[in-house]
Amino acid sequence: MSSKEKEPLFSEKNRKLFTDQLGRNNPVTVQVLGICSALAVTVKLEPALVMALSVTIVLAVSNLIVSALRNYIPDRIRIIVQLVVIATMVILVDQTLKAYAFDVSRQLSVFVGLIITNCIIMGRLEAFAMANKPWPALLDGIGAGAGYGIILIIVAFFREFLGSGTIMGYPILEKIGVYSFGYEDNGMMILPPMALIVVGLIIWVQRSRNRELIEK
Amino acid sequence: MKNFSNRYIFVFSFIMVVIVASLLALAATLLQPAQERNLEIAKKRSMLESIGVISTKDNSVELYDRYITESFVLNIQGEVIEDVDAFNVVLRNEQRKPPEDQHLPVFRAFPDDGEKVVILPVEGKGLWGPIYGYVSLRSDLNTIYGVTFDHDKETPGLGAEINTTGFESMFTGKKLYQDDRFVSVQVLKGGADPSDQHGVDAISGGTITSKALEEMLSDCLKKYDAYLTQNRN
Amino acid sequence: MENLLNIFIKSIFVDNMVFAFFLGMCSYLAVSKTVKTSVGLGIAVIFVLVITVPVNFLIEKYILRKGALIWLGESFADVDLSFLTFMIFIAVIAAMVQLVEMIVEKFSPALYNSLGIFLPLIAVNCAILGASLFMQEREFLNITEALVFGAGSGIGWFLAIVGIAAIREKIRYSNVPAPLRGLGITFIITGLMAIAFMGFMGIKL
Repeated sequence: MSSKEKEPLFSEKNRKLFTDQLGRNNPVTVQVLGICSALAVTVKLEPALVMALSVTIVLAVSNLIVSALRNYIPDRIRIIVQLVVIATMVILVDQTLKAYAFDVSRQLSVFVGLIITNCIIMGRLEAFAMANKPWPALLDGIGAGAGYGIILIIVAFFREFLGSGTIMGYPILEKIGVYSFGYEDNGMMILPPMALIVVGLIIWVQRSRNRELIEK
Repeated sequence: MKNFSNRYIFVFSFIMVVIVASLLALAATLLQPAQERNLEIAKKRSMLESIGVISTKDNSVELYDRYITESFVLNIQGEVIEDVDAFNVVLRNEQRKPPEDQHLPVFRAFPDDGEKVVILPVEGKGLWGPIYGYVSLRSDLNTIYGVTFDHDKETPGLGAEINTTGFESMFTGKKLYQDDRFVSVQVLKGGADPSDQHGVDAISGGTITSKALEEMLSDCLKKYDAYLTQNRN
Repeated sequence: MENLLNIFIKSIFVDNMVFAFFLGMCSYLAVSKTVKTSVGLGIAVIFVLVITVPVNFLIEKYILRKGALIWLGESFADVDLSFLTFMIFIAVIAAMVQLVEMIVEKFSPALYNSLGIFLPLIAVNCAILGASLFMQEREFLNITEALVFGAGSGIGWFLAIVGIAAIREKIRYSNVPAPLRGLGITFIITGLMAIAFMGFMGIKL
């Protein structure tokens, strides 16, 4: 605020860093990053939300740290430094979850640890944080985390709704009473393959609406 | 890109390692009590569930102290082993030892209906990972008073149904012994006859988990055979 | 022996890294355009898994686990370093990959030329760290089990990537709806392959 001649905090460019990754430049469906561990936690909405939040926090903070240190990190060991920063953040998140969100941390099991090798994080650190100032880097981190989270939440919503008939554990279909008409939950939705197919369908929808993204 | 001397790289890595290590050690030390408490509460809650007491995170310790007041550890001959705390026995580690060295924990509970109940822990392998739980027996040491099961990662909607009340409640009233012979409880595909004292319905679509559960019950409870037979009336 | 075979078969077909746990999806999607490169990457993954899983097993057993340091003396019995697990595992993996790369380069230039470019990619492949974390979670009893598990997981991943690459080579001649081309159809095919692999579920020897 003090320095008017500088670029404002929420300039057009900075806002774009955030909004672009929600749609047009989504890390999962367009940049093809970070699909690795995440899909396994999309059976229910709750773990997916926690996972999305954890990734966003880890990504934003590591982006910030690496960007702040970018002029001091020796080029030769930069990958190791990045890994150490990420691993530290992930351990902190994991320990906190184990202490304060025990039930969810049990459902996520090893997948919290796998955030370390989530390619989104390495990708954003290497491509953005190493070359930009801390504030845009933080926004970029939050943006990428949110873009990743949105896909996770969409997938988890459909899988939980169609597969178990609940939303966030609330038995919505049972309350409406569709079971009395002979409706049954689609057990297929909760099995791993359907996560892949749902992501495939999301990509289909996104690309038919935004033709620039179509691959040749 | 700037060039850094080797000494700079060395100093940089050293400082980084020191900062990271102290940060993590601090976090681990601060959070460890809360983590261990979570594990303890989870264990107490599931034990309480097996005698039909529903507890929350906050009152589980208090309820545990009220209902489950005694515990001891047996060996396979049914003799009490002194100086071992039953609550801290990790069943998974015990199962790796030869049977004669295993510690078998027993908990005694006194629910509100005046029954004297023993609670026995069980653990085994499901389809994808471990399954575990507690079986509580009435004072005749034969009739099941209640059970609770849980799993780490059975197939949702299929095998994972073992931790639902619908499945667990079928076990109540079933018997472990038939004419003084240990027969355990069978989990029957296609449904069990309601009058069958040793069988419950399997989970449809969860055949492997059901079978694993049956195996777990018979393996774990059979080790208490000596104790149960000696003390049955 | 039977137990080992069981772990082996299970880790290839039932608990397949790609189809059951979505691990290593990034390189799986990026490198599966032709069969030749995917064979290279697949072999490199097997190679690295066979080395890192047993090494991490030993580290877990003698350093990280609660009470593991007891061989240093009674006073270490209560030391619990398990909070460092992620850090140490990833460091071991990065170091091992580097080491393997140097050794291969020195002793077998031909192999290095075909595998070399993939090795750096592998350090951040989730399948590698994933296998070590699953090894820890499943509490294998001895190093042979860990080794067999590592090998099985690697072969499972190899099968998956070679399979999808073969399909993708053929699908280029098919008339796929434009928005699905490339990434979209690959996801859906992987889903269908995963359904096929589910047929192996419940195999027990």
